[in-house]
Amino acid sequence: MTIERVFYVLGLIVVASPAVLLAALGVTSLSGRPLGERTISRLTQVSVIAGLMAALGVLGLMLAFDQRSVPIELGNWVVIPEQHFHFHLKFVFDRLSVPFVILSYVLCGTIGAFTSRYLHREPGYGRFFLFYALFLLGMVVATLAGTIETMFFGWELVGLSSALLVAYFHERPNPVRNGQRVWSVYRIADAAFLIAAISLHHLYGAGEFDALMGVGPWPEGHVEIPVSTALVVGLLLLIAAAGKSALIPFSGWLPRAMEGPTPSSAVFYGSLSVHLGAYLLLRVSPLLEASLVLSVAVVVLGLTSAAFGALAARVQTDIKSALAFASLTQVGIIVAEIGCGLRYIPLIHIIGHACLRTLQLLRAPSLLHDYHSLENAIGEHLTHTPSFWERRIPERGRVWLYRVSMERGFLDAVLDAYIVRPFVAFFRWSDRMERRWTDVLSGSESRESDQVHSPSISPEEFL
Amino acid sequence: MTSLYNSEYGERADIGSLPHVAIRHAVEQAAHLLPSQGPITVFVHHNTLHAFEDLDFDEGVKAGGLLFGCHAYLPEERYRTKLERGRIRVTDLEAVLLDDLGDDADRLVAHFGTRYALRLAMLQFSLQTAEPAQLRWMIAETDALRRFREEVAPDVREEMIDKTRRWVMRDLQNGGAKDAPVIDVLGDVWEQFDRRSMDSWDDRTWEAFVLNFLWRVCHRGVGEVRSDDAHEDVCPPGQRHRDVLLAATGEDADLLVNEVLFRTCGPFLDQGFAEWEIPHRRQGLYQSFLKLHSQSFASPTSWSAGLRRETKRLIDLGIGPLDSIGESLSLLGVAEDEWEEYIKHSLLALRGWAGMVWQMETNAEWAPHPAPAGSLIEFLAVRLILDRLAAETVARESLSYVGPLCDLRESAASQIPSREQDGTDHRAFTVFQLAQVRGWKPEDLQNLSGELWSTLVHEIEAFSGLERRRVFHLAFERKYRNETLDAVIAHSRSHRDKGPVPVAEAGPAYQVVCCIDEREESFRRHLEEVDPDCETFGVAGFFGVAMYYRGIADAHFKPLCPVNIKPQHYLVEEPLYSLLQSDRRRTEARRRIGQVTHQAHRGTRTFLGGLLTGLLGSLTAFPLVARILFPRLTSRIRRLYGSIVETPGTELRLERVADEPGPEDGHVGYSVDEMAAIVEGGLRAIGLARPELFSPLVIICGHGSASLNNPHEAAHDCGACGGGRGGPNARAFAQMANDPRVRRLLRDRGLVIPEETLFVGTYHNTCDDSLTCYDLDRIPVLQRNLFERAKAGLDEARKRSAHERCRRFESAKTTLTPEGAQRHVEGRAEDLSQTRPEYGHATNALCFVGRREWSRGLFLDRRAFLTSYDPSQDDERSPILERMLQAVIPVCAGINLEYYFSYVDPTGYGCGTKLPHNITSLIGVMDGAASDLRPGLPWQMVEIHEPVRLLFVIESTPTAMQRIINDNEAISLLVKGNWVQLAVFDADTAQMHRYVDGDFVVYEPESTELPTTDTSIDWYRGWRDHLGFAEVGQMIGAAR
Repeated sequence: MTIERVFYVLGLIVVASPAVLLAALGVTSLSGRPLGERTISRLTQVSVIAGLMAALGVLGLMLAFDQRSVPIELGNWVVIPEQHFHFHLKFVFDRLSVPFVILSYVLCGTIGAFTSRYLHREPGYGRFFLFYALFLLGMVVATLAGTIETMFFGWELVGLSSALLVAYFHERPNPVRNGQRVWSVYRIADAAFLIAAISLHHLYGAGEFDALMGVGPWPEGHVEIPVSTALVVGLLLLIAAAGKSALIPFSGWLPRAMEGPTPSSAVFYGSLSVHLGAYLLLRVSPLLEASLVLSVAVVVLGLTSAAFGALAARVQTDIKSALAFASLTQVGIIVAEIGCGLRYIPLIHIIGHACLRTLQLLRAPSLLHDYHSLENAIGEHLTHTPSFWERRIPERGRVWLYRVSMERGFLDAVLDAYIVRPFVAFFRWSDRMERRWTDVLSGSESRESDQVHSPSISPEEFL
Repeated sequence: MTSLYNSEYGERADIGSLPHVAIRHAVEQAAHLLPSQGPITVFVHHNTLHAFEDLDFDEGVKAGGLLFGCHAYLPEERYRTKLERGRIRVTDLEAVLLDDLGDDADRLVAHFGTRYALRLAMLQFSLQTAEPAQLRWMIAETDALRRFREEVAPDVREEMIDKTRRWVMRDLQNGGAKDAPVIDVLGDVWEQFDRRSMDSWDDRTWEAFVLNFLWRVCHRGVGEVRSDDAHEDVCPPGQRHRDVLLAATGEDADLLVNEVLFRTCGPFLDQGFAEWEIPHRRQGLYQSFLKLHSQSFASPTSWSAGLRRETKRLIDLGIGPLDSIGESLSLLGVAEDEWEEYIKHSLLALRGWAGMVWQMETNAEWAPHPAPAGSLIEFLAVRLILDRLAAETVARESLSYVGPLCDLRESAASQIPSREQDGTDHRAFTVFQLAQVRGWKPEDLQNLSGELWSTLVHEIEAFSGLERRRVFHLAFERKYRNETLDAVIAHSRSHRDKGPVPVAEAGPAYQVVCCIDEREESFRRHLEEVDPDCETFGVAGFFGVAMYYRGIADAHFKPLCPVNIKPQHYLVEEPLYSLLQSDRRRTEARRRIGQVTHQAHRGTRTFLGGLLTGLLGSLTAFPLVARILFPRLTSRIRRLYGSIVETPGTELRLERVADEPGPEDGHVGYSVDEMAAIVEGGLRAIGLARPELFSPLVIICGHGSASLNNPHEAAHDCGACGGGRGGPNARAFAQMANDPRVRRLLRDRGLVIPEETLFVGTYHNTCDDSLTCYDLDRIPVLQRNLFERAKAGLDEARKRSAHERCRRFESAKTTLTPEGAQRHVEGRAEDLSQTRPEYGHATNALCFVGRREWSRGLFLDRRAFLTSYDPSQDDERSPILERMLQAVIPVCAGINLEYYFSYVDPTGYGCGTKLPHNITSLIGVMDGAASDLRPGLPWQMVEIHEPVRLLFVIESTPTAMQRIINDNEAISLLVKGNWVQLAVFDADTAQMHRYVDGDFVVYEPESTELPTTDTSIDWYRGWRDHLGFAEVGQMIGAAR
C-alpha cells in the first residue's frame, strides 16, 4: 500500500466517521426506532475515537514523511458544464486544519462523554446527540474543506445544529426566540459567505483554496488578484466571520445562545463554533495580505469586539453571560492577531482558549462551590478592587459606561429598531397590499387562513 | 408580620398619607405570596404554599393553583397509570368516594343510578375530551361511533345491542313510533344504514347502529341543556394591562419590561459576582434605576428614549417610589379599590425576582449585600413605570391606540376576539361515553325530559377534572397509608408475639444516634442487620446544639440549627494546640493559593489576563479530559494535593471563658451549665435517660452532603441544621457529654450517665456515603476495641446503604456489589456531569415518632423520618413529645410539601430541569440566558418522588395528642388543615387511631399479613421501583 493510499484511507475515516454517526442516529429516529441511551453514547464514543485516531495518524504520517499538505479528493459531485460549475468535494490536511480537527475531536469527544451522563433520563437525549453528530460533521467538514463550497457545506451544518441546540428546550418561548435570533444572524453571515464564494467562482471558475491562495501550503499562500477584488471578497468573508464569531455588530446573539443544556453552550458557543469565523479568516489569510485596507478593517473589528466584550463581561451578574462575553473578548483578540498578519499565534490562541473556556463553562454550575472555597481560603468575602482603568475614568463616565455595557452596547436594540423593524414593516405592508388586491379581485374575503383561530388551551390542562 | 416600611423614605408627601398606607399594605399582602426561598447557598425546605396554610389542603392547592397557574394534583392520566399498575386500587377509589360523598352517595341522578356509581364510573374509565375540531374529527374518522369502547364489559355491550335491537324491531318497525323527536333522530341514523336488509344485519352493523343512535340521542338531549355558567368577565378587576393587550393583540408587553428588570434586579441583588457594582447601589433600587436610565447619549431607540424621558422627569420632580407607584396606578387608570389585586398581580408577574428582593430585604442580614428596607416597594415602582411605558408602546404599535393610558384596558378589552364555543359536542361525547360504560340504552335516553338531561349534565360537570384528581389523590394516599398502618400493626404484633429475644442481656453493645432524616433509615436498618447487638436512635440532626459555627478552613460563621431558632452561641474549630505554629504557615499558604486562584479566575474574563491564559490554555485540556473521563481518580489526586495545606489535627473551642456568648475570642463556646442543659435535653428526648439504658459507646452521627457542579447542593444537607452540615453539632454534643463536669451536673438532676460510657461524634456524608469520626485521640485504650467493632459495623452499614440507594439510580447496574456501590456513589459525588449526585429527600412519605422497637426490622424503603421517643419516660401531658413535635412536624411537613409541589408541577412550583440552569448574582438560578429566578426543587431531585402528604405515626394517646394539637398553632394549622396525615399508635396493644376531621378514629387493619425476608438486600435486590413493607427476619427483637 502506498503512502498516498494510507493517507486517503485515514483521511476518509476522519470525515466519514461523524457522517456515519449522523446517518445512524438520523435514520433510526426517522424510521421511528430511536436508539437507547447506552447505544447512542457507545456509537458516539466509537465514532469520535475512530475519527480522532485517524486524525492523529494523519498527523503522525505527515510528520514522519514531512508532508505539509495532504489533499483528499472525493471528485466532482455536481457538474454543470454550460455554467462552468462543478461542486468539488475535496479535503485538505495541512498545518491549519490538522490541529483544528484534532481540537474538534478532543472537545467534542469530551463533551459527548459529559453529556451522556448529564442528559441521562432526559426525553431529548436522542435529539441532542443527533444535533451533536450534525455539529461534529459540520466542524470536521468546515475545518478540512479544500474548496470554498465544501467549507460552506460544513459551515451550514454547524449553523443549523447550533440554532437547533439553542432552541433545544422548545417547550419554553425564550429558547425558541433566541434560537431564531441566532439563526437569523447566521443567515446574514451565510449570505455574505455565499456571495463571496460565487464571486470567487466567477473569478477562477473553481473554488479550490489552492487556486485562490496560490501555490504553497498554508500559511505561505499568495494571491494574485486585484486589490479591489480582494477587498470586496475579503469584506464579504469578514461579514461572514463576524456573524459566526459574534463580532460587532452581531455580538448580541452570543449570550442569548446560552439557552441550551450546559454542555452544548460549552462546546459550541464557548469554544468551537465561535472560533469558526476566525478559522475562516485564517484559511483565507493570503487574501487579507493582498489588501492593507482589509487587514486594517480586520484588526479594527477584532479590537473593538474585544474591548466591547471585556467591558460587557465586567458587568454581567450571571456566570454564563459573563463567560460568553469573555469568549468574545478572546475571539476579538484572535481576529485582531490574524489581521496583524500573525498565523501560528492565533492558532495556538484558539486552541488554548477553546480548551479553557470549555472547562469553565462545564464547571459553571460549580460557581457557588468555587466561590465558597475561595472565600474560605482567603478568609474573607471576595472583593473587587477597581482596576487600573476604572480608577482613571470620571464618575459620570463610569456610570455611562456601565449603562452601555449593561445594555450590551445597544447592539441588539439598534439592529432591531433600524434593520429588522423596517424590513418586517415592508413585508407586512406588502402582505396587506396583496390581501387588499386579492379581496378586490375575488370580491370577498380571500384568505381562508384569517378565519382560523389557534385553539385555546383546554381548562383540563391547568389546575 | 410587622411593617418594615417605617423608616425615612425621601417622600415629598407626608409619610402617613392614605394612598401610601394602602400601597404599603398591598405590597406586604402580596409579599406573603412570593416564594420564600432565600439565596440558594442556604437551602431551607418549606411548604411552597405556606401562604395558604390557613386554608384546608384541598382549598389551599386550588387557590394556589389558580393564583400561580400551577397544578394542584398530578395530571389525571398519571393517576390512571397508577390505577392500571395497582398503585391505586379500585377499592381505594370506592372507599374514598363513599367517604367524600357522605350522605349524598346514595342520591339518585335521574334514572341513571346513584351519584356514587356515576362518579365511580367517571373515575374508572377515562372520558376522552378534545378540542372541538379534534372531537369532530374523532367522531367522523375514528371508530368512536362504530365500536364500543374497550373498557365496556362484554355483557353490558351484549345487552345494549340486544335490547336496542329488540326495541327497534318490535316498537319502531311496527308503528310504535309516535314520538316525533325519535323519528327525527332515527331518520339521521337510518341514512347511514341499509334499512331494508335490517333482518340480515350482522353483529357489527348492529353495534354501529346502536352507537350511532346513542350518539344522536345524546347530542339532541344535551343540546337542549342551557349553559348556566355566566360569561367570564372580559376584564376582571385588577387585571394587568399586559394581559388584556396580550389577549387583544398577541403582543407581550412583558418582553420589553422583563429585559430591563432582569438587568436591574440581577446587579442590584448581586452578592459579589460582577466585577463592576451597579452605580448608586446604596441609594436603593429605585434611585439607582432612575439614575442609570436617565443617562444622556445612551438611548438609541425609541423605547430607551422614552424610558430616559420618564426617568429624567421623575428625578427632576423628585418623585419618590411610593408617590411614583400612586402616579403609575392613576395613569394606568387603576381604581383605588382594585389596587390590592393589581399590585399583587404586578408583583407575581416576576415572582422569582420579586420574592428574592423581599427575602434579601427581610431575611438576609448575614449576606454580604443585603437589600435595604423598602426594596420591594422600589421594585414595584420600577416595574409599574416600565409597565406603563411598555403598555403604551404595544398599544401604539399593535392597536394604533393613542388615547390616554387610563382608558387602554377597556379599549383593548373590546378588541379581544371572542371565542364563543359551543359545548354541545363536548358534553354529548362525555354522556355518550358514560352511557356505554354504564349501559344506558338509547331507548331509555330518548324519553328523558329536558329537565332530566339538565340534571345529568350538571351532575357530570360537577365532578370536574379537578374534583376527579382530588379523589384520585386521596385514593392514592389511602393505599399507601393503609399499607403502612397495616405493616406497623402487623410488625408490632409479631414482635410482641415472639417476645424479647435474649440476645444481649447486658444491653446493647453500642448505640448510634442519627438524624431523623429518612435517608438515615436505610443506614440504621443495615447497621442493625450487620450488628444486631447495637441500638439506634433518631433525633433532629443538630442534637440541640444551636450555634454559629466556623470551621478551621471557613471564612465566616454559619448558623447550624433549624431556621426557626436564632442561635446565641458561637463555636470555632481550631488546630490542635501543639500544631498552632505550623498551622499558621498552612493558613498563609491556603490564602496565597486562594488569592492566586481567584485572580486567575477573574483574569480569564479580562482583556490581557484572558490573552495570557488563552495562550496557555491548552494545558487545561488535561484537567478537562481527566475530570470528565476519570472523576474518581482525579478527585483523589486533588485531595492529595489539598492535604498539603489542610490542618492535620483540630479541636473544638467548646468551653467559654467570658460570661456573655459572642463571636469574639473568649466569648466563643458554652458554659458548663449550658452544655449540661443541651446534653440533658437531647438524651431525655430520645429516652436515653436511665443509667441501665446506656451502652459503653454512644456514637453521635450528624449528616450532610457534598457534590460537585450542583447549585442545589445545600438542598441535600441536613434540614435540622437549616441546610448546613451537622458534623460539628455531633462532635460538640459528644464532647459535651464526655465532660465529667457536665456529667456531675446531670447526676444532680437525676440523669446518670455511667462512667464507662463514651460518646464519639461522627459525620455521615449522604452523597458518597463516607463517614468521618472526630476526636479519635481521646478514646481511652480500654474502649478502642469496642470502637473498632462499631466502626466496622458502621462501615459495612454505609456500604450496604449505598447499595440500597443505588437501586434507584438507573445508571447503576442492579448487579452491583456493596463495594461496587460504594465506588459508584463516590464517583457520583465527584462527577462534574452528574445531575443526580443523590436523590435527597425524594420518596419521603412517613414520619414515625416513638420507640425503635416497633419499627426495628421493618423495611421502610428510605421513606420514613424516624424520631426516637419513649412515652414511658414522659408524663401524662407529654411535654417531651410536645417539644419534639414543635420542631418535627413543621420541619418534616415543610420538606414533604416542598417535594409534593415541585413534583406535581415541576416547572410551575419547582425550578424545572437542571440542564439549562444558570447561576446568577450568586443567589439563585435562571433558565438559560435570562429568565425569572427559579425557586423550588429541580426535576432531577424529585423525579422518583411519590407525592403523598406526610403520614405521622406517633406513639402516644389520642388525648395527649389532641392537647398538643390544640395548644400549638403551627401544629394545629398543619394537622387540622390536613396538610399532613396523622395517626397515633399504642405499641403495647398494637392499636392505631387515625386523625379524621378533628377526631381520632380507631383504625381497623385491612390485612394482617406482612411478608418476611432474611435481609434487606434479599428484599430490594434487582428492583428499581417503589417497594412495599417487609419484615427483615434477623433483626427482630435484638439488642434488648
